[in-house]
Amino acid sequence: MAGVTWRRVTLGVAGVYFLVPLAISVWFTVYNETQGFSLGAYGRIVSAPGFTESLVKSLLLGAAVIVLVLLLALPALLAVRLGAPGLRPVLETITTLPLIVPPITYVVGIANALRGGTDALAATPFWQTLISIQDENFPVVLVLAYVMLALPFAYRSLDTGLRAVDVRTLVEAARNLGASWPYVLFRVILPNLRSAVASASFLSLALVMGEYTIAALMGYRTFPVWIVTISGNDGQLSVALSVLSLGLIWLLLLTLSGAGRKSK
Amino acid sequence: MTVELRELRRSFGGTVALDGLSLTIEQGELIAFLGPSGCGKTTALRCVAGFERPDTGAVFIDGADVTRVPANRRDAGMVFQSYSLFPNLNVRDNVAFGLRVRRRPTDERHSRAAELLELVGLGGFGERYPHQLSGGQQQRVALARALALQPKVLLLDEPLSALDAKVRVNLREEIRRLQLELGITTIFVTHDQEEALSVADRVAVLKSGRLEQVAPPAEVYDRPATPFVAEFVGTMNHLPGRVSGETVEVFGQFLPLDGAAPGEEVDVLVRPEAVRVTPAGDGRAFILASSFRGSIARLRIQLDGGGEVLADVPGHEAVRLAPGLKVDVTLVERPVLTAPRTAVAAPVEPVA
Amino acid sequence: MSGLTKARRRGGGAGWLAAAPLLLVTLIAFGVPVVVLVFGAFSVKGGGLGFDNLSATMKQPYIGALWSSLKLSAVVALGGTVLGAFLAQAVLTSRSGLLREAVLTASGVLANFGGVPLAFIWIATLGNSGVVTAALGLGSGALYNFWGLALVYMYFSVPLMVLVIAPALDGLKPQWREAAQNNGASTWQFWRMVGIPVLGPSLLGGAVLLFGGAFAAYATAAAMVGASVPLVTLQIADALTGNVLIGYENIALALSLDMIVVALLVMAVYLPMQKRSSRWLA
Repeated sequence: MAGVTWRRVTLGVAGVYFLVPLAISVWFTVYNETQGFSLGAYGRIVSAPGFTESLVKSLLLGAAVIVLVLLLALPALLAVRLGAPGLRPVLETITTLPLIVPPITYVVGIANALRGGTDALAATPFWQTLISIQDENFPVVLVLAYVMLALPFAYRSLDTGLRAVDVRTLVEAARNLGASWPYVLFRVILPNLRSAVASASFLSLALVMGEYTIAALMGYRTFPVWIVTISGNDGQLSVALSVLSLGLIWLLLLTLSGAGRKSK
Repeated sequence: MTVELRELRRSFGGTVALDGLSLTIEQGELIAFLGPSGCGKTTALRCVAGFERPDTGAVFIDGADVTRVPANRRDAGMVFQSYSLFPNLNVRDNVAFGLRVRRRPTDERHSRAAELLELVGLGGFGERYPHQLSGGQQQRVALARALALQPKVLLLDEPLSALDAKVRVNLREEIRRLQLELGITTIFVTHDQEEALSVADRVAVLKSGRLEQVAPPAEVYDRPATPFVAEFVGTMNHLPGRVSGETVEVFGQFLPLDGAAPGEEVDVLVRPEAVRVTPAGDGRAFILASSFRGSIARLRIQLDGGGEVLADVPGHEAVRLAPGLKVDVTLVERPVLTAPRTAVAAPVEPVA
Repeated sequence: MSGLTKARRRGGGAGWLAAAPLLLVTLIAFGVPVVVLVFGAFSVKGGGLGFDNLSATMKQPYIGALWSSLKLSAVVALGGTVLGAFLAQAVLTSRSGLLREAVLTASGVLANFGGVPLAFIWIATLGNSGVVTAALGLGSGALYNFWGLALVYMYFSVPLMVLVIAPALDGLKPQWREAAQNNGASTWQFWRMVGIPVLGPSLLGGAVLLFGGAFAAYATAAAMVGASVPLVTLQIADALTGNVLIGYENIALALSLDMIVVALLVMAVYLPMQKRSSRWLA
């Protein structure tokens, strides 16, 4: 039947397009004509200078972004459902704005704001704050930027999750049974939102582990930036790093969706 | 226009949905396919509509074999369970969809749609969109759409099951009125026995892809052909009885047998309305619970020897026959059906 | 004032309080940079405000880069939407739960895979010394042009489209198809009169996301084509990092503003469409 044919063709073409580059890349990293099979390229990643440092830095940034995104978005989303529906259009707009400002333009704005701010505030105590949020080891300014970039996706994923839960009834039932507000939030709402929180966290972390433009242009050596600087002219190493970062995203997705599913 | 199902068989993987179903639906008749879920009633309907193809057997509409005719070239209008209206089209365009497919001119489409909407009581709703209508209104539109091409057969696949009780009753009467007015041969699939009994000319009771009985509603209720039909349609008491010759002994009464008994120790099948309850200080039973239903009250009665029996008494007696009262239980003298002995005396409430 | 109104008032106040941190952080981390950016785009050399920078971006080489970015984004959006929708439909109707799960997971991974690593993988495949280049005897530079870039961008765009459109395809009720058939419609007529109109908003919404993704992408292009395909993001980075003459920073700001205006226009189409879709498929 015609229906079967177009499906096969589509799946076949998609399979070739998506799998061939991956297969070639993996092959390329483990085989070359002089040495034959070798996992050397992957060994070189681990021993390359700055690997652990940049990876840990990015993971820490990621953790901070996740926490901050959840702390900012969840109370606002709950408020919308518990008596401040007027907030909704405001939140929708706020979480759409970052989609309109591409990272490269956003970083231009940040860099200019920081430079201007440093000049203007040179004589005040705020100057010290501005300097400290740009600390190379843990750049708070990067956390804030990533929170903004992650917000649209995290907000929508949490909003979808909340739609499946009758928040008002849950809260009223829990309050009626004598639960305090923190108890309601952490023991009643969050467990019901587990998979939405997991997917919001995944999206945030995947963004941090892949974002290059802002970090590179501001001069921070996060993991994605490190990948580019260390690759240099070592072709095998650079592809091995690409395979690794793809694997990393995959691992994150599996872990977090697994965490989201456990409760069901 | 008759519809004939001949020896239909259809299985999905390991499950048999239709197991040799044969049935003829007469011109202008409204037949209800009744049965529990998984009995094959919907599969049978979908075979008529052309959405399923039987593994073996054939479907005839008006004497012509349509088994191999694709669904979009059959002359059968169908109303689905729910949410089948096209969400991107307004009510008028939904009703006129089939005319648009056949490239009829706009004027004709609009006038025909208006006419049909009038017919289902929704004149003036043409510009609305499905999401602006209630569930009952949506099903009316679906009905108008199914009738738009003046099909030979109308197929209704549990059209009322997603609606509120009150709307359900109104709409089923409306469907029946329309069906009689148009004289269109109609198959109405339902799992609700009350619905089937109240609208159909004949009821076909299905079980495991087979026909158990097909007969007018009163006959299905009063003279069920099999124990399954007896239990599925209405409420039935199972009372322990002992067969002797042409009669069966139950509660010390001897009642004539209806048909052959399956053995000596049997279950006697008795409707709640055939159970008489009289107050008696030294009665061998007492009333456990009473639920008042307006014209009648249904009593749950505990028997001395163990087991329970349901009895319907006139509503005005509900006050006198209160829970806790000692009573005597007797059965109306008429031929009774029997079934192989199962429970001690557990009444079976209908599924729906 | 009745007790009920009072309670609602208080709920509203507490609601705004709960949202306050989000609003504040957005104001500082997002509002300030954007205001600085807009202000800078209108600042002219020697002080004062004017359109000098913006009109400079409407001349070569900047206008060419902007145009080529728009073209690339349009090609990726169109191609990604069509291919993604077909792939999603093929997977969802295949009746294989395993295939469905695998493709949706892979889409989740690949939609988030971009930047320089994506460029490296394609360079290994189709670059000048790539495996497929050698096997097929393609000349050098097969990848390092406009269409090569489009091909690579599809690698994250098609999966993103699959993720966006899959729920909408799942929301197409089988009754609609059957009701259409029952009214005499062929498969094509069903898609033309019902299926595609119902999916329309989701398709358009997905296309907008793909457009935005391709329009904003920088790292992949930088690693792959350098300056051989002019793109607005590459121009901004050049101006910002001083790869060209000093004093072009305000040009970077003006180009950024151009990009934001384009994105705003695209969003203005997307948001109303999104609303309609959610109403239909609810």
